[in-house]
Amino acid sequence: MSSDLTIVLLSLRVATVAMLIALPIGFGLSWLLVRKQIRGRFLIEAVVSLPLALPPVVIGYGLLILLGNRGPFDGLAFTTFAASLASAIVALPLIVRTFVVALEGVDPRLELAARSLGAGPWRVLMTVTIPLAYRGLVAGALIGSVRALSEFGATIVVAGNIPGRTQTVPLGIFTRIQAGDDQAAIRLVVVSITLAVATLIVHDLLLRRGGLDGRRNRAGFGA
Amino acid sequence: MISPEASRPGRDTNGVLRFSFTRVQGDFSLEVAGNFGAGITALFGPSGSGKTTLLNCLAGLLKPDDGEIVLYGRDLYRGSPKMFVPPEKRRIGLVFQDGALFPHMSVSGNIMYGRALTPEADRRVDVDHVVDLLGLRPLMDRSPGSLSGGERQRVAIARALAMSPGLLLLDEPMASLDAHLRGVVLSYLRRVHDDLGIPMVYVSHSISEVLALADDALVLSRGRVVASGRPSRVLLDPVVGGMFGDDPVENLLDGTVIEQGGAGQSGRVRVGAIEIVTPPMDRPSGAPVIVALGAEEIILATEKPSGLSARNVIIGSITDLDPVSNGVYASVDIGVPMFVELTQGAVDALSLERGQDAYLVFKTSSIKLLDAEPLVDG
Repeated sequence: MSSDLTIVLLSLRVATVAMLIALPIGFGLSWLLVRKQIRGRFLIEAVVSLPLALPPVVIGYGLLILLGNRGPFDGLAFTTFAASLASAIVALPLIVRTFVVALEGVDPRLELAARSLGAGPWRVLMTVTIPLAYRGLVAGALIGSVRALSEFGATIVVAGNIPGRTQTVPLGIFTRIQAGDDQAAIRLVVVSITLAVATLIVHDLLLRRGGLDGRRNRAGFGA
Repeated sequence: MISPEASRPGRDTNGVLRFSFTRVQGDFSLEVAGNFGAGITALFGPSGSGKTTLLNCLAGLLKPDDGEIVLYGRDLYRGSPKMFVPPEKRRIGLVFQDGALFPHMSVSGNIMYGRALTPEADRRVDVDHVVDLLGLRPLMDRSPGSLSGGERQRVAIARALAMSPGLLLLDEPMASLDAHLRGVVLSYLRRVHDDLGIPMVYVSHSISEVLALADDALVLSRGRVVASGRPSRVLLDPVVGGMFGDDPVENLLDGTVIEQGGAGQSGRVRVGAIEIVTPPMDRPSGAPVIVALGAEEIILATEKPSGLSARNVIIGSITDLDPVSNGVYASVDIGVPMFVELTQGAVDALSLERGQDAYLVFKTSSIKLLDAEPLVDG
């Protein structure tokens, strides 16, 4: 059996890589959905939201087909990366939903004003869009991380439950319960609850203050 | 349709911006051509006529479908072969209706945003000068949310000017302002133009504003240019005038207080080389002020009248007589142009002609005074 520390560190590593995958993709998708009148908008929204509606096992099985030994990405199944990928996919809908709300709160005319003042699209993103959407973006990243840290169903199917490689906190708890080692299981449960509660508190604070700020910003335009 | 003609003497009207393009958006089509000079051009037209779309195309925020846009001989847009300069490379300043200030930056952060992105060699405008010119020095550390409407508008103008634009576009900068603040922004705009010499295009709904500020006017209706040329000609044209209802024409004159008066004592204001007797006011002598006087409040006489109760009798010369739907507008040069509303009968009876001297007579009480500078900020 892995030590508590091994499991917690692996969990953090899996979740971090999952966020490195999901956050840029989530931001790109949200930006497309909010700022561009694209065809197939509904399709993108539906596909992104699907992991919310499907049992995680189904996501895991789909990934297993893609990453397994008969799939196009043979050799990736049952790796730490597969665990990260599974977490990224289940976290993506929550991230996109939060990011969309955050970006919708940024007046597009501010971006246009910045363009007319000499800023290219990239600079506008970094100096206007992201700073103004910042609270919502951080909140989205937090809720995504919480979801990634608690991922179980998809992970166990595509990445298995390999100690030191794919055994994250939820899988560790599952293994210890199965082995009847309640004391060891409860230690991980406490870690799990602490991480989740801390993240949710920060998330809530950000969104509440973000909401107040949003109102003040809009009043600032004198519209 | 009125053909373009020479603007006021002394202004360089040689093409700063030349455009001719089309853009279709749903069932609205914009099909425009025109030429903007170095002065202030007013863009006039009912809402939905395409004024904002035109400005956005010039600034590069929207793409035309075909045609060309040329600024100082440089192609900004061309339909074929395809070529499009993105907004950040056009050096065209744009002032939005309500300012569109960055709420997460201070006033000075806003003003320096475009400045910091301007190559050293292109920084012709002195930011400190602009800040002083627009009276923004005390506001530099404030956040946009704490500013009044007039202050926000001035910050937006300063922000656009700080990047030394080759052309400044203003989309109804006074739409959301109170009447007395309009005078303030109006006089700031005039001062900015006189001082920095940056050509301006300015969207407005008010005939009086356009007459007071603009050297040229371009009138849009349903996505087409219906008239262009000198404002007094274009806007008083019966066809064009009919589009804007009965907005009474006011003369808006920049002046300086000589004597504030009070307690039954009239005030006096200097406008150019002349002196106007006004109602008493609470502004100290030396303060800038805008004298507003309705065109229909002025009596025109061909000989110097005497024994009048009206305190203002000013000589000038008639430069134009423009027939409008319900009479004639006479433009009289008294050092500054003044518009006087007359009936056709009066013009015939007095056999008025261009070049003739005339006395303008108006009562002190018909004068309204507008702030040219905010007395109290906030």
